[in-house]
Amino acid sequence: MEQAIVVEALVKRYGSLAAVDGISFAVPSGTIFGLLGRNGAGKTTTLECCIGLGKPTAGSIRVLGLDPTRSAGLAALRPRIGVQLQATSLPEKANAGEVLELYAAYYGIAPRGAEMAERVGLDGKLDREIAQMSGGEQQRLALALALQHDPDVLFLDEPSAGMDAFGRRIMWAEVERLREAGKTIVLTTHYIEEAERLCDRICVLQRGRIVADAPPADLVAQYGGDATVSIAADRFAPDTALQALGAWTQTEQCWKLATHGEPGLALAAIVTHANAIGAKVDSLDMHRPTLEDAFVALTGETLLESAQ
Amino acid sequence: MSALRMFLVQTKMNFVWYFQRDGELIFWTLAMPVFFLVLFSFAFSSGPNSGSSGFLVPGIIGAQVLSSGFWGVGVMLATFREKHLLRRVYLTPMPPWVFFASLVAYRMTLLAAQAVILIAVGGLVFHVHVIGRPWEILAVLLLGTATFVSLGTIVGALARTTESANNIASVLTVPLAFLSDAYIPIDRFPHAVSSALRLLPSTQFIDTFRDVSIYGAPLSHYGAWLGMLALWTIAGTVISARTFRWL
Repeated sequence: MEQAIVVEALVKRYGSLAAVDGISFAVPSGTIFGLLGRNGAGKTTTLECCIGLGKPTAGSIRVLGLDPTRSAGLAALRPRIGVQLQATSLPEKANAGEVLELYAAYYGIAPRGAEMAERVGLDGKLDREIAQMSGGEQQRLALALALQHDPDVLFLDEPSAGMDAFGRRIMWAEVERLREAGKTIVLTTHYIEEAERLCDRICVLQRGRIVADAPPADLVAQYGGDATVSIAADRFAPDTALQALGAWTQTEQCWKLATHGEPGLALAAIVTHANAIGAKVDSLDMHRPTLEDAFVALTGETLLESAQ
Repeated sequence: MSALRMFLVQTKMNFVWYFQRDGELIFWTLAMPVFFLVLFSFAFSSGPNSGSSGFLVPGIIGAQVLSSGFWGVGVMLATFREKHLLRRVYLTPMPPWVFFASLVAYRMTLLAAQAVILIAVGGLVFHVHVIGRPWEILAVLLLGTATFVSLGTIVGALARTTESANNIASVLTVPLAFLSDAYIPIDRFPHAVSSALRLLPSTQFIDTFRDVSIYGAPLSHYGAWLGMLALWTIAGTVISARTFRWL
């Protein structure tokens, strides 16, 4: 598959601090690539280097075959990329319709204010001044500005930061629509749910380095650990058939199975066995490994602490 | 074609966002200069018809040109950078010259409006008559604006924060207005001092503007000074282009 973005051995230092410390990845055209990590992991720095906002200390970057660190490459690239930055930065006294009109002029296209407003859930709010808009509304306007000129590649830096549930739903729907339209998207996030739901591939960053780069399902399968089924039941003990499902451990009141297999099937077998031997089930619990488990296993940290 | 459209839309938005919707700015740009004219006319003279208003009208317009460059453009650019507006614009395909041209167009239009109001008030209240040729007056005003916008852009390029840009702009604008024949005649200073002050681009601009507009002097008498202003403009533009940071 053709690569829309290729980053090789990227390093970005601020003084003695290496915000990005030698990372490489490639994003195939038409896929959604997530940079997942805590604040300060180097997600935003990496994204900014890809769009010409930061000059790499070392390494090479190609976006659509162009070099964003050189002015000729960046000039050719600008019309073909759309960017939503973390901190929205629009003139306070401007209204949404005017900003869309101005950006349409920048890109030499007809303004699509009404259409864009509808897509990002700002219908009827085109005449509202930026200063009067909520943080989430400003983020959605920033998304509209990134989309209006129909770019081939989108860079979304923490797109759902500051958005409420409504805004997040709209943003996710829009990203899914863009996937169907064959766009390439790079997004940074520290929301595990967002990464898992939207991304074809997730790159886990920690202190400027890549600790894993794989499709979410593969990350979970490889690093998420075993699925577990716990049962607390009187006079229960696994028979040989159940023992073949995985590793059993017994605590005071409960038996716990850790399995590589499908935990739903194990659960059914366990319940059937309990009924067959007349064991009264007090409680049952099943846990399927999640991306969060994989993240913790990979980094030794949780994401939650960083999400204020 | 598309660059022209960018320029027109950007200029329109400059007016709507930074002027029309900003009551404070409307007051500062349109009412304050008139207030200065009235105040200084009475403070520096024995009354109407004493000739000082004829000195002050072009002087205040000239001082507005200085402040338009240093505050209006210099501080504005530093604010844009600090608020990350420049960063966002840098990501779009708009050529930098369109951005600056629309800022200059916006400032020049405001200055023209200020000049018209000051000349009107000067004529009605203080019997100041503009006898120069309109196109010559306009040419000097345009050249002076170009000079101080390009110098102001250096302030916007070098200042790291809005606050430091503000400080630089006040240090430049306020003393320069007093030392450049804008509010008080520099001939009151010792000859050596006033001769030295006539080397300043601000003095050369304001004197030329005053002589051409109020005293009807022919523009051709000021070739050397106009050349100097053009050189300052070129130097300011080159330095700005080399030092300006979008990020």
